[in-house]
Amino acid sequence: MRNLGIFIACAGALLAQPVLAQRAPFESPLKPDLGKLPLTAGFTDVDGAGGGGLVPWAIITGYGTSDSWGANVHYTLVPLNDFRLQSYGFAVGALDRIEASFTQDKFDATGTPLNGLSVRQQIYGLKLRLSGDAVYDQDSWLPQTAVGLQYKRNTGISNEAGLTSPLQVGADGDSGTDFYLSATKVLLAQSVLIDVTLRYTRANEFGLLGFGGDLGQGRSVEPETTVAYLVNRKLAVGAEYRAKPRNLSVDDERGAWDAFIAWTPSRFGSLVAGYANLGSILSPVTQEPRSQSGAYLSLQAGF
Amino acid sequence: MHLGVLVLVSTLSLATPTRSAPLFEEMGGAAALHSAVDDFTDIVVADSRINFTFAETDLAKFKTLLYEQLCELSGGPCHYTGRDMRTAHQKLQITTAEFNALAEDLYVALGHAGVPYRLQNKLMAKLAPMKRDIVK
Repeated sequence: MRNLGIFIACAGALLAQPVLAQRAPFESPLKPDLGKLPLTAGFTDVDGAGGGGLVPWAIITGYGTSDSWGANVHYTLVPLNDFRLQSYGFAVGALDRIEASFTQDKFDATGTPLNGLSVRQQIYGLKLRLSGDAVYDQDSWLPQTAVGLQYKRNTGISNEAGLTSPLQVGADGDSGTDFYLSATKVLLAQSVLIDVTLRYTRANEFGLLGFGGDLGQGRSVEPETTVAYLVNRKLAVGAEYRAKPRNLSVDDERGAWDAFIAWTPSRFGSLVAGYANLGSILSPVTQEPRSQSGAYLSLQAGF
Repeated sequence: MHLGVLVLVSTLSLATPTRSAPLFEEMGGAAALHSAVDDFTDIVVADSRINFTFAETDLAKFKTLLYEQLCELSGGPCHYTGRDMRTAHQKLQITTAEFNALAEDLYVALGHAGVPYRLQNKLMAKLAPMKRDIVK
């Protein structure tokens, strides 16, 4: 009889609030909370870091908030006039504080006398958010800031010309580490995102042609920037610039830029499409002085 | 480099606020805001990510207070008469994910009420710093 009374009381309590569930979904920090707003987790840059296309942002990748975590995989394709860059990898963001990423690059010559050359590189990335919140701190001009590093390692060159190492084109090393400081701000009232990144690097063509060289062995500070306009909750358009050092006499290396449109239909994925111009590549060797430009396509799937 | 600077400067100049009617009027005034608040309340109560935080909420009173708050924040002829955000949310232990889910629902409701996205963002820019007081 007493049990029946408790049963009725419980059933009554449940019926009184039929719609309102318990707070269960966000309790465990191990459970992905998909808690960020769509678009605000950014995309995957060419080195595998959370960011735009060429530039890493201070934003931690994935849709996990400071109570949780997120992760994603990516595939990026940049078919240029005489070369093709592909990259794929994965990234994890935890507690909206730290990001770790792994990316495999494959860079192929598809034209010029270098046709058939194929360079592989692995990139291990780490990023730590230092301060601020790009989205919420709308009453302040202070950006979100982060520091990061990218360890890059040449994992092989295949071709018919006997080229096996970036050292053969004059590079000083076949592995190296970039360090960067990023500041990202969403100016929500203007629907604009701005990122400024300073990279301390000696990578030649993103590291694909080794590190340092006959023209310069040490690292230099290179500026990078993204400016994007938020068109709606799922769509952004923007442009980026990334300066690069020039360390090799066989490569008249220039800065790279892009213009993109990014679409995030849901927190589970995004697509970035655009135009990329990486400047001329190895033109003293290829006798092809034009800028290497073409489409930029990047797919990201995750949570 | 020149391109980046050019884009940056031109975007910033676009972003400079212009003298015009208050955001409240731009968004469509009382009619649009009442419509958004009503719709928002329906959406939130149906949103399993956050509806439990409204378990003890008097929804009629909530609508009145939210309208007052959004109206005042957007420069409309209203005065918010509710509690401050910290006091009002202390017991609820709101998480960042829940705050964002609520923001997402408000975006959707404002869209339904015909408020353009760039104006939604202007309103959100005024609400966003409240996260510090609302989230536990």
